[in-house]
Amino acid sequence: MSRAFGFALVLAVSLFSAIGPVVIPADPAAQDLSAYLSPPSAAHPLGTDHLGRDLLARLAHAGRLSLGLAVLSVACAVLPGVALGLAAAWRGGLTDRVLATAADMTMALPGLLIVLLVAGLAPGRIWPLWLGLSAALWVEYFRLTRATARVLLAAPEVEASRLLGFGPLYILRRHVVPALAPPLATLAAFGVGGAVMAIGALGFVGIGLRPPMAEWGLMLTELLPHYHEAPWALAWPALMVFATVFGLQLIASESAQGAGESPR
Amino acid sequence: MLRGVAAALGRRALQAACVAFAVGALSFLLVRLLPGDMALRIAAGRYGYDLVSAAAAEAVRAEVGLDRPVLAQFLDWLWRLARGDLGRSLVTGETVASEIAHQLGATLTLALAALLLSVLIGPPLGFAMGLRPGGLADRIGLAVSAALRAVPSFVIGIVLIVVVSVRLGALPAAGHGEAENLVLPAATLALGLAAVSSRVARDAMAAVRASPQFAFARTKGLGEGAALIRHGLRNAAVPVVAWLGVQLAALVEGVVVVESLFAWPGIGHALVHAVIARDVPMVQGTALVLGLIFVSLNALVDFACLALDPRARPR
Amino acid sequence: MHRVLAASLACLLLALPCLAAAQERVLRVVSPWEITSLDPSRAGYVFTRMEVAETLTGADDGGLPKPGLAASWQVSGDGLVWRFVLREGARFHDGTAVTAEAVVGALERARANPGVLGNAPIAALSASPGAVEIRLSRPFVALPAFLAHSSTQILAPASLDAEGRVRAVIGSGPYRIAAIELPQRLEVARAETWAGTPPAIVRASLLAAGRGETRAALAESGQADLVFTLDPASLERLRRNPRITVLSVPIPRTIVVKLNAGDPLLADTRVRRAISDAIDRAGIARAILRNPEAAATQLFPPTLAEWHVPALAPLAHDPAAARASLTALGWEPGSDGVRVRNGVPFRLSLRSFPERPELPPIAAALQDQLRQVGIAVSVAIGNSSEIPAGHRDGTLQMALFARNFSLVPDPIGTMLADFGPGGGDWGAMGWSSPEMARALDRLSAATDPEERARLRGEIAAILQAELPVLPIAWYEHTLAASKRLAGVSLDPLELSYRISAMRWAE
Repeated sequence: MSRAFGFALVLAVSLFSAIGPVVIPADPAAQDLSAYLSPPSAAHPLGTDHLGRDLLARLAHAGRLSLGLAVLSVACAVLPGVALGLAAAWRGGLTDRVLATAADMTMALPGLLIVLLVAGLAPGRIWPLWLGLSAALWVEYFRLTRATARVLLAAPEVEASRLLGFGPLYILRRHVVPALAPPLATLAAFGVGGAVMAIGALGFVGIGLRPPMAEWGLMLTELLPHYHEAPWALAWPALMVFATVFGLQLIASESAQGAGESPR
Repeated sequence: MLRGVAAALGRRALQAACVAFAVGALSFLLVRLLPGDMALRIAAGRYGYDLVSAAAAEAVRAEVGLDRPVLAQFLDWLWRLARGDLGRSLVTGETVASEIAHQLGATLTLALAALLLSVLIGPPLGFAMGLRPGGLADRIGLAVSAALRAVPSFVIGIVLIVVVSVRLGALPAAGHGEAENLVLPAATLALGLAAVSSRVARDAMAAVRASPQFAFARTKGLGEGAALIRHGLRNAAVPVVAWLGVQLAALVEGVVVVESLFAWPGIGHALVHAVIARDVPMVQGTALVLGLIFVSLNALVDFACLALDPRARPR
Repeated sequence: MHRVLAASLACLLLALPCLAAAQERVLRVVSPWEITSLDPSRAGYVFTRMEVAETLTGADDGGLPKPGLAASWQVSGDGLVWRFVLREGARFHDGTAVTAEAVVGALERARANPGVLGNAPIAALSASPGAVEIRLSRPFVALPAFLAHSSTQILAPASLDAEGRVRAVIGSGPYRIAAIELPQRLEVARAETWAGTPPAIVRASLLAAGRGETRAALAESGQADLVFTLDPASLERLRRNPRITVLSVPIPRTIVVKLNAGDPLLADTRVRRAISDAIDRAGIARAILRNPEAAATQLFPPTLAEWHVPALAPLAHDPAAARASLTALGWEPGSDGVRVRNGVPFRLSLRSFPERPELPPIAAALQDQLRQVGIAVSVAIGNSSEIPAGHRDGTLQMALFARNFSLVPDPIGTMLADFGPGGGDWGAMGWSSPEMARALDRLSAATDPEERARLRGEIAAILQAELPVLPIAWYEHTLAASKRLAGVSLDPLELSYRISAMRWAE
């Protein structure tokens, strides 16, 4: 039941972020200084922020950025992680040791530090965030893939396929990938949730994205001084982050429990 | 046991070296890729902006060797790092080492206090929930834990400040020096960590209770409490401690955000300021120290695991 | 039995804070600025504001010089030799007497380091028993005002190490440093070496908290007694708090946008005027500063009565005129809304910093207002040192900050630092005006009130016409003080926190 609820939450947020910017007529960057922090009304269904910008439009555009960037970062971490993990497991020997050492080196630094260092290159731009997050995240998928593939590749079925003359691509696709998919999906779901929070934290600390970009964490930072006079304005981006990450965790933890692993 | 400790130490020492190399390489990359004249910035940091001139910048360029080939510079950079020469901050002109020395104590205090608090909150609650899996307490615990993990740490911090500090006036909202200043920042970090460790503890306890060893102990005639303490706790503790190691990355990341929010004068705070100010020596120094703290805490967790679980020791 | 024990333990624990409070209560001050260094030329204002170090002169609320470490001063007939007589019995916190040699040493250091004294035409400094003589190369009436600046603070010779760097701040003020933790915390205690009336407040501490919300939370929860520089939204809330007094005073500070007039995009005065026309100052004052009166009509606020020229045509908000002007200058509207001329898009970067909470929202507002006329602005909120750095290496295009015209109690100090022939880190960039240079020169020496008024009017008119910096809004200095304190006043020149004049209201 809770897994379905999680799916519903994530789907709702994703639809809102994908379609919202197209459907909502208001410009997220258009300011109206005479109507700052106005409560929800017909013209502005969620109210306006401290510079008179429409909160509904900003929330939708922020969703595109926060969620889109998180999904992109995780995708760009999964692909090389899985590919390298498969390569390490298949080839073994020196390739395996070199890749495993590279992974260890990356693991030695907490992800946010890597992102901070990379984001320092070009503060306020999107690509350092995406690059930093991917660089920090690829290791998890590499390790999972390598560990799973190693066990699977030692099985007798694989030995049989090899003897029959099937090439590596077939073997990987047939024997390894199906077993890999569920834990990978779990990890990816957690990863996206974590990436959303990391982007928000960076925006809070001042290194992430910059005005007039709309991003959930940045909105929280900007609206923070006004929590007393307009608490609803602060509630919207907080709710969006919460709904996204909570939904993803519900999906992930249910499937993890189904697979018999400990929840993270 | 000793061989296990030596093996763990060796692994962590290698990791520490990797941290130093990675941070050094990334910082060097930062220096090369940042816009603006690095020699001018270094000179301005030393002499002040009004006194710095083109001649001073040229002198710095020659001294630091910014006009040599890239590979030579990189090797020199790494060599300085290995010697412990972290350079001078571009903003204040003080040596990076002295600045970090001031801040290290603050960060360590915060990290250890948060860990301690989370260990005091999370696992006990988790063990209690694990005793009755599926019960009301367990379900509430799942919901609360999931909710806490979906809230960014700075939001938790802000809520704590508003409720505890502003409304109740019970604790300071920021600052450093007295014990009471530590409570809110440590609690902010601890809540996030405890949310995860409580679930891990709950699962571990539920597994132990369902295990044959535990059933056997009960059949022997031991009361539930005694059976738990003698046979359950140590087994249940191993995954908890292991997951603690995984959570350390989250701790170090959380330290950076929480120090900014609570004006805690630690290394995370300094790292953020340094990144914003493009103060590369400071960025390198603080990132290095944070990374080494991470590796050290991991080493401590390794030792704790070795102490708890004889199966992990090499024969 | 156990319950009684537990209850008494609980009572004891509750009583402990009261016991602690019965000892010397510490006055807790919170400010946004970190203590970056012990050197007077870098963060010296921290120590003068906490009344640890003294300068030769001070200033009253009106900006007129008053005695500090110098009890009195005279100037020779030709205006070139000034003699400052030191206060009798003044001692440093290490017990040594304040000698004229120590003063001269401090002033020489101030001259050699970055600071305002470099702008005063000092030829030589000499010490005689109990007095310091300053010989100028030309008459300069504002010298006493320059000697009130925190970079000229007098520290004991024992403060310096062998290389002449400051290793401890040993001043002569009513408070001495008890503990210091760079960059965030400073603790001071009443100094026994102070010969005047001992202040009522025995201990005080300073905490640097860069986030505006944190400072507001500290004020509201009663965790701090004096909190400076609050954001406008929190101010409204704090005014309603029964345990806090909110003081808000217009001061000689203006929020300005510094422009790089040497940049090809900004070199033309008409372009700068168009940018100025695009800015909605009234909207910014109302929505962000919550004070409609703060919208700037010219650079100098009305509180700077001598420099504010009521007759000057106010800066307008006319986006239509701005668009027309830009089009006429060859800036055609592009397809994405950004104007283009000869293939070059009109893109600018704006730098600012967060320690003054109004600056980031104002930067965002300016970005949108300039977008409406076709100029794309990217905003970078970073460290304030990025602005002088950008001035030095020429990469700065626009910068937003609040400029202090009473850097030195006489605004001529700021004028010389900012609008002299070479411009200044916080002033003009790539702009020079021979008329301005001449007016400033004559103003430094003139004593006739009518001529001074005329010259000041001329300077104001030049700045209004050429716009090397764009005035945005006039600034108010804010303080949230606990009602447990009596005798609280706000120094409009920001020279001192005036802790020695306060006492606990009991």
